[in-house]
Amino acid sequence: MRPRNPAGRLPEPPSPIADDGDESHFCRTCAFAGACLAVGYGKPELSALHCLVEHVGPYRAGEHIFRTGDPFRAIFAVRAGTVKTCLVDKDGREQVLGFYLPGEVIGLNAIYPDHFPCDAVALETAYFCRFSFPAMSALAARMPAVQQHLFRLLSKELGAASLLAGDHSADERMAAFLVDLGERYASRGFSGTQFQLSMSRGDIANYLRLAAETVSRVLGRFRAQGLIEIEGRALTLRDAAGLRRIGQSLLPE
Amino acid sequence: MNHAIAVPEFDPELIARYDTAGPRYTSYPTAPQFRADFGEAQLREAIRASNEEPIPRPLSLYVHVPFCLSPCFYCGCNRVITRDMGKADRYLERLYREIELLAPLFDRDRPVRQLHFGGGTPNFLDIARMGELMESLARHFSFGRRGEREFGIEIDPRFADGDYVRGLGALGFDRVSVGIQDFDPAVQAAVNRIQGVAETRAVIEGARAAGFASVSVDLIYGLPRQTLAGFERTLEEVLALAPDRVAVYGYAHLPQLFKAQRQIEAGELPDPATRLALFGRALEKLCGAGYVYVGMDHFARADDELARAQRAGTLQRNFQGYSTHGDCDIVGLGVSAIGRIGDSYSQNARDLAGYYAALDAGRLPVARGLLLDEDDLIRRALIGELMCHGELDTTEFGARHRLVFAEYFAAELARLRPLADDGLVALDGAAIRVTPRGRLLLRSIAMCFDAYLGDGSAPARYSRTI
Repeated sequence: MRPRNPAGRLPEPPSPIADDGDESHFCRTCAFAGACLAVGYGKPELSALHCLVEHVGPYRAGEHIFRTGDPFRAIFAVRAGTVKTCLVDKDGREQVLGFYLPGEVIGLNAIYPDHFPCDAVALETAYFCRFSFPAMSALAARMPAVQQHLFRLLSKELGAASLLAGDHSADERMAAFLVDLGERYASRGFSGTQFQLSMSRGDIANYLRLAAETVSRVLGRFRAQGLIEIEGRALTLRDAAGLRRIGQSLLPE
Repeated sequence: MNHAIAVPEFDPELIARYDTAGPRYTSYPTAPQFRADFGEAQLREAIRASNEEPIPRPLSLYVHVPFCLSPCFYCGCNRVITRDMGKADRYLERLYREIELLAPLFDRDRPVRQLHFGGGTPNFLDIARMGELMESLARHFSFGRRGEREFGIEIDPRFADGDYVRGLGALGFDRVSVGIQDFDPAVQAAVNRIQGVAETRAVIEGARAAGFASVSVDLIYGLPRQTLAGFERTLEEVLALAPDRVAVYGYAHLPQLFKAQRQIEAGELPDPATRLALFGRALEKLCGAGYVYVGMDHFARADDELARAQRAGTLQRNFQGYSTHGDCDIVGLGVSAIGRIGDSYSQNARDLAGYYAALDAGRLPVARGLLLDEDDLIRRALIGELMCHGELDTTEFGARHRLVFAEYFAAELARLRPLADDGLVALDGAAIRVTPRGRLLLRSIAMCFDAYLGDGSAPARYSRTI
C-alpha cells in the first residue's frame, strides 16, 4: 500500500454542508433553527414535545429518500448533499420538479394528499434531519412562530415553481437558474458565487425543459461571455449582475 | 514560463548520476498501477458520469493497429508480425464491434477533436481499409468540423508512399508521425529496419503536398552500433527533411520483457557515456537549427503549436507525449489501447485472444483500469505542471487543491532537496522551478511526487531516465 498523506489537507472550504448542529443545537443553516429558537425552544425542548428531530443518512447518489405514494410521515431538512424531486410516468419518463440544497426542506408538498406526490433522490451523498410531521403539526398548533415558519416554507416552495413558468429563452432560463442557486447558497451562509453544480446536465436540462446539448451550449456561451467560469462541475459566477439582467423576467425583484 | 523554454543544460556527469529507471508519466498513476477490478461496469459508469458534466469534454480517439510486416528488434510495443491481410480483416471486424458498442455510450454532442492511429504499424491497413474504418468512426462518433480537429497517424515509410499519404489526406488526416530511428545502415542492419532517406522523404513530401498541418519524426538513440558520427549524419538528414516536430527516444534494453529485443547483441549497445553523448548531440543540433526543447523526448519548431501551447501555459501530457488537446476525454480503441475518461484510466485486453473473446461475447474488452482518488488527481496535476511548464506556484496550487503545500508534500519536498542541491530545481518556498540543468531530468523530479514508487511493484518495468 502506498502511504496516505492526509496531513496538510485544508478542511472542506465554504462547502455546502449544514452540519454544525448536534443533539441539543440546530445547525446554523437549518430551516427550523430560527423559528424554534425565536420562541425559546432548542432541540431538547422539541424532543420533550415528542417532535423528534432524527438524523438520517447517508443516502448515496441515486438512492431514494421517499417515493411517490409513500405515506407522508415526516419532512426532511437537507444537512448535506443535494436532492432532486421528480415525477416518473408509467413509461419511466422522468420530470424533474426541483433541486434542494443544504438547509432546505423536502416533503412539504405531501402535506395535503397525506402521501408523497413525487420521488426524492439524492444526487450525491446526502444527510438529513427528519422531522416527524404529526409531532410538528402539534407543535405548530401551540407555537404560532413555528406555524408561520411552515407557511413561509410552503409559499417559498410555491414561488420556486414559478421560476419556470411561461415562455422564456434558454439563456433566460439558465441565467435565472444559476442566479437562483447562487442566492439560495448565499442565503444559507455559503458562497453564492462559487459552488458545485452537483446535478447532472440531464437533470438540469429536464428541469429547465431544454435539451442536454442546449444546457452545455448555453453554459459554453456564458463562459465565452465572461459571465461564468466552469471546470468540471465547479462553477464560479463571474458576473452575477449580468446573469441577473439576462434572467430578470424569471427572477423576483 | 520562460524557464521551460530555456535551452536545457547538458551535463553528462550529472545526468549519468541520475540515470535510473523511471516512468515517463504519460499518465499518473502509471499503467503498472492499473487494476483488474476495474472492468466493463466501471468503464460504463465513468462514461455515464462524463456525459453528465455541465459541459462534457470533447473526445480524443486513439486507435491501435497492432500489426507489423516485419519485426524491428528494438520494439517494446504491443504488436503482431504478419503478412496476412486476413488477420487484419479479422481484427477490423472486432474493432468495428468495439466502436459500435462504445460510441453510443458517449453523448452525440461531444465532438471528436483529436484522432490518433498508433501501432504496430497503422499503415499496415491499405487505403480501402482505412477508408472503411474512418467511415465507421465518423458514423458512430461526431467528428468535429475541419479546422477544429486534428487527425494524426504513425507511418512506417518502408510500407507507404506519396499516394498512400495523399489518400490519408483525403480521409481527413492532417498530421503524420514518421518513424526513422537512425539512417545509419550499420544500425539499421542491427535492428532489422532498413529504411532509405528517399522513401522517408517521399512520405513527408506527400504529406506536405496533401496539406498536412504537421509532420513529426521519431529518432532513437542508444541503439546497437550507433556512433556519434553516424547519428550526426542522421540528424543532418533529418534537419534537411524539415519536420515540425522531432521526438528523440532513448532505447530501453529490456530483453526479459520484450522478446524482440533478444535479437539485439547487448555487446553492440553504446556504453553509457556514448549513449549520453548521442542525446547531447541531438540536443545541440536540433536547438542549433531553431527547434525548441519541449521536454522529455520532444522537440518542436518555435512556431509549432506544441511550442506555442507551452508558452501559453496550456500544454498537457498524454499518451503520445505532449498534447494541445489535454481537455479531451481519451477513448482507447483496439487491442491494448488505453483510455482516460473523467477521473479514470482503462486499458483493453493486451492480447488479441482476450480482446476477441470479450467482443465475441458482446462485452467491452476493457481488462483493467483505475479510478483516481483525490490524492491521485492532485499528484497528476502537479506532475503534469512540472513536465509541461517546468514551474509550479505552490501557493496557487495549494489554494486550487485545498492543501497546505509544504505540509501535504513535506516528505516529497524532502526527497526533492538533494535535487535542489544539485541544481535541478530551485525551491524558494513559493515555487518549484525546474532549472536548465534539471530540464533533462524531469522524470527524476516527477518521481519525487509519485506516491506509488518505493512499494516494490515497479522499477524494473521502466526505462532509464535518459
